Amino acid sequence: MRPAGRPSSTRYDWPEPASSNRWTLRYLALGIALVLGACAFDVIQVRQVPAPLEAISSPAPEWTLSQDANVRLREGFAALLKAGTTWRAIGHIPQGDVFRTSDQIVTVEASNVYEAALVLNADVVVGFYLMVEHTFTAADPPVQIKRAIRSP
Amino acid sequence: MALLRMMGRPVIAGLLALLLAACASGPQFSQMQGSLPALSADNGRIFVYRSTVLGAAIQPSVKINGDVVGSAVPRGFFYVDRPPGDYEITTITEVTRTLSLHLEAGQTRYVRLGISIGFFVGHVYPELLDGAAGAAEIQELHYIGK
Repeated sequence: MRPAGRPSSTRYDWPEPASSNRWTLRYLALGIALVLGACAFDVIQVRQVPAPLEAISSPAPEWTLSQDANVRLREGFAALLKAGTTWRAIGHIPQGDVFRTSDQIVTVEASNVYEAALVLNADVVVGFYLMVEHTFTAADPPVQIKRAIRSP
Repeated sequence: MALLRMMGRPVIAGLLALLLAACASGPQFSQMQGSLPALSADNGRIFVYRSTVLGAAIQPSVKINGDVVGSAVPRGFFYVDRPPGDYEITTITEVTRTLSLHLEAGQTRYVRLGISIGFFVGHVYPELLDGAAGAAEIQELHYIGK
């Protein structure tokens, strides 16, 4: 006679998952979700619109940025614009005037990296011109900057 | 425990040997700088390098505008001379990472190959550095070009 409550066979019965096993499974699922979430970065694309550049043929006016400017984008991020860098106009796109500098690298990054130029409307950074793609990506929000004009 | 310690030494030595074998072994940039061919006036130069040994086993090809120009060898560098224009530098692991840049005549660009965590393997990604930072980082790296 078997004691009451004991299963008829301990050899083939599937054991109830122990509490620690359930937590292990939950942590594993959470870990996989986090890893997959991290992989989502690989599909982030910078939002771009075509922007034909009208190049400047005459000597370009230059100015110097008076203080650092951190410009945010809706997707991805842009390089910090450093105080003391000198910028020269290279052309115009429908969104504003386009400026480049040789004092720092300017890129826009998400899954990929794009070399970029600054687009200003008066003293407001409205976005970036992507040099190779010939497109514009907007700042979100636009950023007012302080600059010192060096030449007309 | 003593057995583990005895077995551990050869394993560690083997891993170190593998790591060193995976790294670049050509002349250092600082040694060959003077013998590099001068850049012609109608071309620009792009240096491509990988300064870290992290993820040494992952050495994807490096493409410029679709053509394979080298590999992402840890502690290694190579360069290509190209006419002025637009270029896309690409590495492919489990994802494709691209850097787009504009090259001007007489200009030298520095492209560093970084590594980040991936799902199955690490991701090698190109990033653009300014001339001073790139020139400083490349000094102790080894030439892996042809």
